[in-house]
Amino acid sequence: MFQYEKKLQYPVKIKNPNPKLAQVIISQFGGPDGELAASMRYFSQRYGMPLPELKGLLTDIATEELSHLEMVGAIVYQLTRNLTIDEIKKSGFDKYFVDHTTGIYPVAASGAPFTAAYLQSKGDVITDLHEDLAAEQKARTTYDNILRLVDDPDVRDPIKFLREREIVHYQRFGEAWQTKWNDYGGAADKTA
Amino acid sequence: MNKCKLMRELSAVKFAAWELHLYLDTHPCDEKALEMHKKYSARAKELTEEYEECFGPLTHESDSGLAWVKNPWPWEYMECDC
Repeated sequence: MFQYEKKLQYPVKIKNPNPKLAQVIISQFGGPDGELAASMRYFSQRYGMPLPELKGLLTDIATEELSHLEMVGAIVYQLTRNLTIDEIKKSGFDKYFVDHTTGIYPVAASGAPFTAAYLQSKGDVITDLHEDLAAEQKARTTYDNILRLVDDPDVRDPIKFLREREIVHYQRFGEAWQTKWNDYGGAADKTA
Repeated sequence: MNKCKLMRELSAVKFAAWELHLYLDTHPCDEKALEMHKKYSARAKELTEEYEECFGPLTHESDSGLAWVKNPWPWEYMECDC
């Protein structure tokens, strides 16, 4: 089961609202390589994992991704507070605003709503771990792109934290792949 | 200690414990890491108690009702005073 802890994993304190930035950062909430997709990917895959270490790792990383989803939601929420209609029009936020006002909705920067088609759960340890390694790098690239687009240090700080977590998760998945699967003998037919 | 500073310290200690926990998923027999995980987790427990005593519950098991529902919630903007 899961129990809520009334704190963020890393602080989000954004002094200046900026709806233009919110429109790109929301991709890490509900976009193709975002935190919702990450969390659901690992939660779903863990049932098919054959080794206890992999069940633990998938469960733990899925849980951390949900905390990241909360942080990205907080960033978007704080960037879109106290807006005037003029600011909404000028920033291009009007296209989001018309459907969601300033509610937080899982959507990509392009406007495409979240879909489970962003993730896979194949029931094959080799396939799933490779998807996970790729997913962490895709998320890292997206955070790099956000850092290319954002100057505000209040926004860059939590984004840099999130970017680093992708690298650590990639490392852990790599270790799981190299050591644990090799220990197991590498034969897929043992677990079918 | 003020709220912002205490929360930052608590978050840093909890993060260290969590990072060691993930490491231990793939290095479950690393005794040095196990020892560090125990140390940071114990410190996180102390800081959690200190924080909750001054600023309210972090989980429902520490307190409920008005103490739980009161603002601010974690996603809301709070000026940094530390």
